[in-house]
Amino acid sequence: MKTSILTLTLSIFLCVAARAELKWEQNVIDLHPALGDKTAVAHFKYQNTGTTPVHFKSVKASCGCTTTQSQKEVVNPGEKGEVVATFNIGDRTGQQMKTVTVQTDDPNPSQATTVLTLKATIAQAMEVKPAFVYWQSGEEPKPKKISVKAAKDFPAKNITVKSNSPNFESKVEPGRTSGEWTIEVMPKDTSHPMGTALVVQSDYPKDAPKSFSVNVQITNPPGAPPLIRAGVPETSPGLRPPAAKAVTPAALPSPSPATH
Amino acid sequence: MKFIAVREALILIALACLPAIGEGIYFRDKISWQSPIPASELVAVDQAKAWGDGAIWVDARPDDEFAQDHVPGAFSLNEDHWNELLPQFLPNWSPDKKVVIYCSAASCNAARDVAKRLRDEAQLRDVFVLQGGWEEWVKKSK
Repeated sequence: MKTSILTLTLSIFLCVAARAELKWEQNVIDLHPALGDKTAVAHFKYQNTGTTPVHFKSVKASCGCTTTQSQKEVVNPGEKGEVVATFNIGDRTGQQMKTVTVQTDDPNPSQATTVLTLKATIAQAMEVKPAFVYWQSGEEPKPKKISVKAAKDFPAKNITVKSNSPNFESKVEPGRTSGEWTIEVMPKDTSHPMGTALVVQSDYPKDAPKSFSVNVQITNPPGAPPLIRAGVPETSPGLRPPAAKAVTPAALPSPSPATH
Repeated sequence: MKFIAVREALILIALACLPAIGEGIYFRDKISWQSPIPASELVAVDQAKAWGDGAIWVDARPDDEFAQDHVPGAFSLNEDHWNELLPQFLPNWSPDKKVVIYCSAASCNAARDVAKRLRDEAQLRDVFVLQGGWEEWVKKSK
């Protein structure tokens, strides 16, 4: 019995000796894309430190917002390479974590699948909170406050607020510290559902100042029928519902700015 | 003889467990023991359908997947074009409505992320993530 166990153990060691091993420089990469960057790219470098070739079976990203590219299908012993993961930032903000799962033909199951992680911190030039304020139809038109805070590396000195609707008045007040403001918004009338986007315009960068929007809304009264009913087939399936037209923001030929 | 074989097998199993226990202790913070979405923020397809007109459906998948097919009446709201899509969605929201967000296995945690932004940035209440996502809705709607 002892001999058979010894044989088994020895054969395991021999199998391990003739191994294919893809060694990754980093399994987790932290990225800090600059303001305005469209993508964040991670280079996951590897080397085959084993004695037999490694074949890639699949390289898959965890979501559609990340694309992957592997340079080669076969990695010979001693050879180096990289898997490139490109994360499309879109309108995302804050901490983002995306994974790439790499599968090889390594006979060792623990080595055959590797999960690579891309962590990206998406800087936000200005934090506008809340990004949406509303009054219910018929509600008393009391003012509501929105706080605006510029990021440390976004040295805006002033902001202006423009409204395309004459029904919403706004004014800007500076905060206690530089780079902070409070916007006060108030509807003149809350009798009808309507909405608009307030455009918050910064003075930085000077050549192309950045702007942000805040949605303000007089909502439908409670119990009002939906504009598009879920569960009922649309007349043009597959198209985006004409949501923006459902409640038409009152438009003015020229915006009325509130400046500070 | 039989006793020795059993004893040696147990010793081998114990030895095999040692690195696993060590890894478990070392990576204890990285092991996901729970679903990232609390149960109170999830809704089953049947429950969401039962809400009828009291629910507003949001598709958090990428534009191309939404264009192929979606829950009838759902609004497209994904993080690729958040700034453009949010103003299209909000006029159809009202405080008495529940928001049901779904994505698919292919679009990973998109529904959870969109739900978080609607709660944090737009400060909406009654925002739910559809259990099983798009695939479950298709299955239950056959």
